[in-house]
Amino acid sequence: MKKIIKPLVSVVIILVCMSFQNGDVLCDAKTLKEKASKMLNPYKYDSSELTRILYKKKESVKEVEVLLFIGEKYRVVFEMEALPKQVEVRIYNKDKASKNRKMLFSSKDANADKKEFQFEVSKTRHIYVDYIIPPLEEGSYNGCAVFMVGYKSSFGK
Amino acid sequence: MTLKFLTVSVLAISVTLTSCKESTETSKGETSEEVADTLNNTPAVAEKEQEVSYNLPSALQIAYVFKKSGAGFDATLPNNKANVSKYNTSHYKSAVNFGIYSADLSYCLFNKKYPESKDYLKACKETGSLLGLNQAFESGDLANRFDKNITNEDSVVKIVSNVQLKTDVMFEQNKQKHIAVIAFAGAWTESTYIASQVYLKEKNKKVLASLLEELLLATPIIKALKSHESSEPEITSLLSSIEKINSEFNAIAAVKTALEKDEEMDLTTMAVTDAEIKTISESVKALRTSMVD
Repeated sequence: MKKIIKPLVSVVIILVCMSFQNGDVLCDAKTLKEKASKMLNPYKYDSSELTRILYKKKESVKEVEVLLFIGEKYRVVFEMEALPKQVEVRIYNKDKASKNRKMLFSSKDANADKKEFQFEVSKTRHIYVDYIIPPLEEGSYNGCAVFMVGYKSSFGK
Repeated sequence: MTLKFLTVSVLAISVTLTSCKESTETSKGETSEEVADTLNNTPAVAEKEQEVSYNLPSALQIAYVFKKSGAGFDATLPNNKANVSKYNTSHYKSAVNFGIYSADLSYCLFNKKYPESKDYLKACKETGSLLGLNQAFESGDLANRFDKNITNEDSVVKIVSNVQLKTDVMFEQNKQKHIAVIAFAGAWTESTYIASQVYLKEKNKKVLASLLEELLLATPIIKALKSHESSEPEITSLLSSIEKINSEFNAIAAVKTALEKDEEMDLTTMAVTDAEIKTISESVKALRTSMVD
């Protein structure tokens, strides 16, 4: 039995060490989504998105198109604690290729230090979540951001 | 033995440290380039990448909106629960039918058909197990909680919503984003199939508006599937079937005009003929048949 334990422990150490190399250690989908889901109440869970953020030499933008139903009320919550460097979240009514798009929300206005925040929206079929990823600085590394969509349900009431 | 153990451990730590060092060097290299850029007076213009992804709604949300339109329940429409055993032939078949059963579960749930909902929850669990989703269905004795809360509609919906959340987490953890998109394509096909059949039977304008809302999802599904096209061989054929449905939808005169003007469509007042809906419903039915058979 002892003969098996030591090689087994060694393999576990190797696997743990390897998991630290790809930056995924920060992106624990389960923990992040469970935290986000607590902010949804009383809205019902609809969907969620985990976005991997890679800091590059220059500022970059990652956009997620969120599909909604026009007559419904939604709450969108963000869980940003797995980001080593602050990323601004902007929500628009149109995609980044559109010239006349309108910004509906910016995390900068909400509170610069907040790692969790929410936004409520209705009467639209789409919103576009833009992550404004700042340039890489020495010592910064990758991480991930989570958002979750909940809808207001009158079912059973 | 202790020496071997130490050797392997030291080797593991060395590999990690080497990798960290490489990573730091890369970062340093990039930072040096940035400094060089500054020295050359190159303005640090933001490099706006064209990286876009899609967050699709759940089968539960689609069914909730459909129920709000006043649509009736037709027990003949959902897929046969006994078909589960047919769906272990490929990841694609399991995923697409996991989505179909999720849509059936949601349709039954919002129509307060709780025994049927429980059966479809079981069908989801069984098809989900073929995709490695067991944990999403096994926590907290799901069947018992469902039974205990059956008189509390809000609690039953919460239980199913929680399964949906756990399923999404499992897809993420298992790095099965493409499977999640295929499953959603299945759920969308089933929801659209049910909506079109109910509309053709009831001819309710609100049901028609709800069906058209569902059809609007075809474009983002196509985009999402295209970004995973190389993941499973069946995606190409699935894509062409959804593209066909989408072109039939876009060919509706009122839709065509709205698209040309880049206007938000008011689907409650849109003029759509029965012939246009029949064409679409036949294509949806053909796609659905190819999935469930």
